[in-house]
Amino acid sequence: MRLYLLSIGTQRVQPSVPNQDRAGVANNPKFWPGQLRQTAHRGLRVWLRHSLPFWLLLPTLIVLGITQVYPGFYTLWLSLQTRQPEGWEFVGTANYARLFNMRLFAESVGHTIVFLVGYVLVTLGAGFGIALLLNRKLRLSGLYITLLFIPWVIADIIAGLVWRLLVVPDYGLFSGILQNPALFPPNGLSILTAVPPRPWLGDFPFPPAPAMVYLILASAWRALPFIVLLMLAALQTIPTEIIESSRIDGANRSQVLRFILLPLILPTLIVALFSLTLSGMNGVGMVFSLTGGGPGTSTEVLSHLLYSIGWGQREFGRAAALAMIIAVVNWLLILGTLRVTRLNG
Amino acid sequence: MALFTQTLRRHGERWLVNAVLTAICIIMLLPVATTALISFKREQDVIRKPPVIFPCDTPVRSFDPTACRWAVEGYQRVLAPKPSDSWPLGFALTGNLFRIYVPNTLLYATVASLLVVLLAGMAGYAVARYHFRGRQTLMAAILAVTGIPLLTNLLALYQVGVDLRRAGLPFYDDRYFIVLVYVGFFLPLSVWIAKGFFDAIPVELEEAALIDGCTRLGVLVRITMPLALPGLLAIFLLSFVNIWNEFIAGYLLIAKNEFKPAMFGLYDFLSQNIINFQVIAAACVLIALPVIILFLFARRSFFQAMVEGAVKG
Repeated sequence: MRLYLLSIGTQRVQPSVPNQDRAGVANNPKFWPGQLRQTAHRGLRVWLRHSLPFWLLLPTLIVLGITQVYPGFYTLWLSLQTRQPEGWEFVGTANYARLFNMRLFAESVGHTIVFLVGYVLVTLGAGFGIALLLNRKLRLSGLYITLLFIPWVIADIIAGLVWRLLVVPDYGLFSGILQNPALFPPNGLSILTAVPPRPWLGDFPFPPAPAMVYLILASAWRALPFIVLLMLAALQTIPTEIIESSRIDGANRSQVLRFILLPLILPTLIVALFSLTLSGMNGVGMVFSLTGGGPGTSTEVLSHLLYSIGWGQREFGRAAALAMIIAVVNWLLILGTLRVTRLNG
Repeated sequence: MALFTQTLRRHGERWLVNAVLTAICIIMLLPVATTALISFKREQDVIRKPPVIFPCDTPVRSFDPTACRWAVEGYQRVLAPKPSDSWPLGFALTGNLFRIYVPNTLLYATVASLLVVLLAGMAGYAVARYHFRGRQTLMAAILAVTGIPLLTNLLALYQVGVDLRRAGLPFYDDRYFIVLVYVGFFLPLSVWIAKGFFDAIPVELEEAALIDGCTRLGVLVRITMPLALPGLLAIFLLSFVNIWNEFIAGYLLIAKNEFKPAMFGLYDFLSQNIINFQVIAAACVLIALPVIILFLFARRSFFQAMVEGAVKG
C-alpha cells in the first residue's frame, strides 16, 4: 500500500498546467508545481509532496488496523480454537459443527429472520409514509422532524428501559390496558412474560411471541427517524416539474406514487433496507435492556446469542464461530449496498 | 366558485396532514414523556394497580390539577446530594452516576470524537483531493471494515485485554484502551462522511487561491478548512452522541468502577434499583437529557452528517 501511494501521487489541487492564454502565469516559476521548481532540496520536497496522501491516511489505517482488522483476524483464529486449562488448542471446524448442532442456534436464526422482516417492514413502511407527509412543504415541517428525531438521540439501552417501563407487569402504563382480560381473553396479555404461540410451520417461530412483536416495535421506533430523514432527503431531490407534468398528463395521485416517486427513490429504499438489516443484525443493546432474550428464549436473536455464548457461557471459540457467520452476512449486505450506490452513480 | 372549493379542499387537506403529523409526533414521544412523568412520581404512585398516568387523582375526582403529588425522590436518590461547602451550590452530588460515570463518558466522548474528527478529516482530505490509484478500493475496504460486527471485535479486544492484563501491561482497563476502541469504531463511517464534505468543496476555489499566490498550506488553512468546518463539526457531534450512547463496549471492556462510562453505570444502577421505577426513570432522563439538548441545538449538523453518511456509505 505504501509504495503504491508513494509512486503514483498525481495531484488535482495544483493549478492545471497552463496553456497559451495563461502564459504569464506559466512563465513565473512561483506558480509551477513543486516538482518543476528548481530548489536545493528538490528530491526531498517532491517525495514529501507525493507521499502526502499516504501520511494523511497512515494514522487512520493504523487505528483501523488495531481496532478492526486485527480483531477480525483474531476472531477467525479464535473460531478454530478451544479453551484448555493450559491455553488454546486447535480444533479445526469443531466449533462450527457444535454451533450448528445447537438447538438454540437454529431457533435464534428463526428469531432473527422474524425480527428482521418485521423490523424492516415496519420501519420502511412507516418511514416512507411519514416522509411523504413531511415532503408537502408545510410550515411546521422543521418542528415535526426535530420532534420525530428525539427517539434516535436516545441510547438504545435507555430506549429499551423506557419501553420496558411501559409494560412492566402490573405497574406499566400499558399493562393496565393489555392485562385487561376483557380485551385480551382469557387472562389478559403480559408482554414480558407471555409464552410464544404454537408455531405454524415446524419449529419456525411464527407467529412471534408478544415480546418479539414488542421488541420489533421498540427497535422500529428508534430507527424510524433516521429512515424518515433518508427518505425525505431523497424525495426532496425529485424535481416538482416531473410530478406536475405527470399530473397534467392525467396521472392520479396513486399513479404518481407508483410510477414516478417509487422508481425514483428505489435506490434510497434499498440503501435504507440494507442499513436497517445491518443495524438489526448487530444491535444488541435493545434486546439486552428490553427482554434479555426472554421470556424463555423467545427473543433470543443471533447478536444476543453471541453475547450469551461468549460472556454468559465463556465459550469464546464457539462465540467466535458465530461471530464469523454474522460477519459474512454483514459483508454480503455491504456488498449489496455498494452495488446499488455504484449503479446509482 | 370552483376556485373557492379548490382552495377550501387544499386548506382542509393541509389541516389533515398537520393533524396526522402531530398525532405521529405525540405517539413517537409517548414513551419518552411517560418516562419523564414516572421520574417525577412518588413511589406510592408508581406501583399503583391499575396504573395512573398523572398522579393527580383524588378519592372524589379522577383528575384534579390542584392535588397533584409530584416528587423529586427519584432524582434525589440518583444524585444523592449532601451538604458541602466546597461545591458552588452548597451541596455535593455524591451519587456515583454523576460523580464518576458521567464525567468519564464526557471525557471519553470528547477525546475520542476529537481524534475521530482529526483522523477522518486528514483521511477524507487525502482521498477527496489526491487521485492516487487504489483509492476506490481503499474506501471500499474502509467500508468493509464496518461489516465486522461490534461484538466480533469486542470478542477479540476482550481477549486481547485479558492477555494484556495477564502480562501486567497498564494499557488494559484503562482510559487509553477504551478511547482507542471508540475511535476505531466510529472512524470508518466518519472517513466516508468527511470525504463527501471535501468532495462538495469546489477544487476551483483552491486553484484560484493557488494562482493568486497562496501557498498550499495557506490554501488548506484559509480556504479549505473554513469551508469544511461545518462538516467536521457535524462529524464531531455525530461521534459524540454515538459514543455517549455506546453501552456494550464499555460494559465488556471496563472492569474498574472508576473508569465506567455512564451507560454502564446506568445498567449497574438498574440492577440495584430493579423495583424503584421512579429512580430508574430519573437516571434515564438525566443521562439522555444532555444529548437531547445537544441535538436540539445542532440538529442541522446532525441531519447533514447523517444524510451524507447514509447516502454515500
